[in-house]
Amino acid sequence: MRKNSILFLAGIVIILALGFLLPWTIRNPFYFFVGYVVLQYVTIATGWNILGGYAGYINFGAAGFFGAGVYLAAFLYTTLGLPLPLCILSAAVLGAILGVLMGYLTLRIQGVYFAIATLGLVIVLETIVHNISALGGASGMAVYGPRPPGWSPGPSQYNFTVMLMIAVASVALARFVEISWIGRGLRAVRASEDAAECSGVPTLRLKLLACALSGAVLAAAGSPYPFYTSYVEPVTAFSLIIGLNAIAMPLIGGTKSWAGPVLGALLLASVQQIATVTISSELNILFVGLVLIAFVAFAPGGLADLFSRKQGRAKP
Amino acid sequence: MKTRREFHKLAVATAAGLVAPAVLGSRAFAQDKPIRVGASVSLTGPLASTKNGLIGYELWRDDVNAAGGLLGRKVELVIYDDQSSAANVPAIYSKLVDVDACDVLFSPYGANLSAPVMPFIKQRNLFMIGMFGLAGNDVAKHDKFFHSGPWGPNSGRDWARGFFDLAKAQGVKKIAIINADLEFSKNAAKGGAEVAKEYGMEIVFNQSYPPNTTDFSAIIRNINAGDPEAIFIASYPADSTAIIRGVKEIGISDKVKLFGGAMIGPQYGALLSSLGPELNGLVNSHTFVPEPTMQTPAIKGFFDRYTPIAVKQGVDPLGYYIPPFYYVAGQLAAAAIIGSKSVDPAKMAAFLHANTVDTIAGKIAFNEIGDWKDRRVLMVQLRGIKGNDLEQFRNPGHQVILDPPSLKTGELAAPYNKARTS
Repeated sequence: MRKNSILFLAGIVIILALGFLLPWTIRNPFYFFVGYVVLQYVTIATGWNILGGYAGYINFGAAGFFGAGVYLAAFLYTTLGLPLPLCILSAAVLGAILGVLMGYLTLRIQGVYFAIATLGLVIVLETIVHNISALGGASGMAVYGPRPPGWSPGPSQYNFTVMLMIAVASVALARFVEISWIGRGLRAVRASEDAAECSGVPTLRLKLLACALSGAVLAAAGSPYPFYTSYVEPVTAFSLIIGLNAIAMPLIGGTKSWAGPVLGALLLASVQQIATVTISSELNILFVGLVLIAFVAFAPGGLADLFSRKQGRAKP
Repeated sequence: MKTRREFHKLAVATAAGLVAPAVLGSRAFAQDKPIRVGASVSLTGPLASTKNGLIGYELWRDDVNAAGGLLGRKVELVIYDDQSSAANVPAIYSKLVDVDACDVLFSPYGANLSAPVMPFIKQRNLFMIGMFGLAGNDVAKHDKFFHSGPWGPNSGRDWARGFFDLAKAQGVKKIAIINADLEFSKNAAKGGAEVAKEYGMEIVFNQSYPPNTTDFSAIIRNINAGDPEAIFIASYPADSTAIIRGVKEIGISDKVKLFGGAMIGPQYGALLSSLGPELNGLVNSHTFVPEPTMQTPAIKGFFDRYTPIAVKQGVDPLGYYIPPFYYVAGQLAAAAIIGSKSVDPAKMAAFLHANTVDTIAGKIAFNEIGDWKDRRVLMVQLRGIKGNDLEQFRNPGHQVILDPPSLKTGELAAPYNKARTS
């Protein structure tokens, strides 16, 4: 375990170093626009998996948390002029609070009702934003982001590096949850909530914690979005496509470990980005559907499970 | 020594001989390289009904290339589908500029999709023609951005002013405003309320409704209770249909002289044909109608070619609202390139700021932030509609222009109830 942690830390250091260096070596900003979206989905998928994968509670409301993060960051930056790190932190705190509130209200109900309740959150938040003129209402809000600091050559590269740091922090958090007592408790909840409760696992508290952490990561994923698009409007910020991808990516990658959502997001988001500028988007959406069906039917444990099965078979 | 000098001369001549074709060749290649025009179009998603604009782009490209191109170079369109999502726009435009090396950009459709690209073109100092984004450049104030749509200056507030001018001329004192809780309609209603106040009209009812509303009976009854003389409606296609059907069922006060204003839907063939005579009497905004004051051989020629393509592709066979202005966008870019004899953004923009351009939609001159100097949004009254045959809308007299006065083809038939049933 310790060896794995050292390897994980080394991986983080290398990836972060690349995140700072690549903008100076690759001159074309397009790759950083695309890279931003891929990393955004790595964060979203990782955040979703803390509750949906580890605890087995399907959350259709990822877009609600994401949108809340988007709007809080946009509001704090444009009205109070808060620096970007504080905007991200505030969004994460709001996401955690929303997660606890939603969890407290809905986690006593299980299964499909929980999923429906999370879907309701998106609609409620979107309607609220539509009707608050300080947030631009339906017509949206222009956000002219901060000038990139000296260590970054341009705005798109800066957004990319910031998103990379958020993604790395999210994955580290997900890994910590997975290997700690929290992950063990959540796995017990997923296996059988009643049995876990009878065995002394504090199920409600654990689920609330998972909701808070998941909400914080999802909202943090949304916080740099206003600076990426320079403009926010409710339909895109609360788009159900975000919720759909948040579920599809961990399912394709595998929900049992932190690597699953990362793999799923890297694969699916990259393919989606390539498809957007190559083939038609109808085929793009069809591709997501077909891949999802294929994985559910033939590899329900996702890519990560396929790899580990292969490794397990190779060992003996 | 002499031999060495000769050798040097020979070496220089050989080097020059080797380099010359490469230098001259690359210059010749640059001149032969097509002029690339990049855009994102909503081919899928909620705004996919606007994809018929692409036919306008393609017809323009074909016309320009058939005439020998621009500055002797062919024109090539580079189009991506933004899936009607603002989230896809930044990456698409970075691809258009940084990878595809487009010389001219057309914006995505409408204000919400165009907004993400405005800071980008301002930071990179790029030339862009805007596609139907209401008040699209009012925040960025980029001096190399030009609207192809006829919204005019201060469009956030004034684009539907024609409706209120008509109401004022009819002596309207009390007005009701309803709108869908979405971007375009909310802005239209907000601007409308400001103009109504400016004209001293009392707003007796002002309400927004959720986007998926299908039953308007309560709202129509409440409007009737307010006893207005004009009703300004900012709605989307599904609610436009529901409102018109609701009025048919419940009825409206005889005092109402104008009904409509900013309803999206009655500009499109699908809704014109499905509602047919139920649209009689409606006063609504439009960008082009086949009335005598607007018909020219150029625009007639455009629609003669547009219609068969649209029928084949299964998009709006009339195509009055959007496609001509996509063709206009191409004409504006062509005028800027030919006029400035370059694809340099600053020179192209300077040309458009200084000159009036003749297009299939008429002559266009721009103010400093690229709005048309004169608003040319039409207020038309639908009348004389019989049955659901779409072809009748190709004839004059069914979409009579009431405003602007320069294009007027008839007087307002009022009150609404009389015009509706006549």
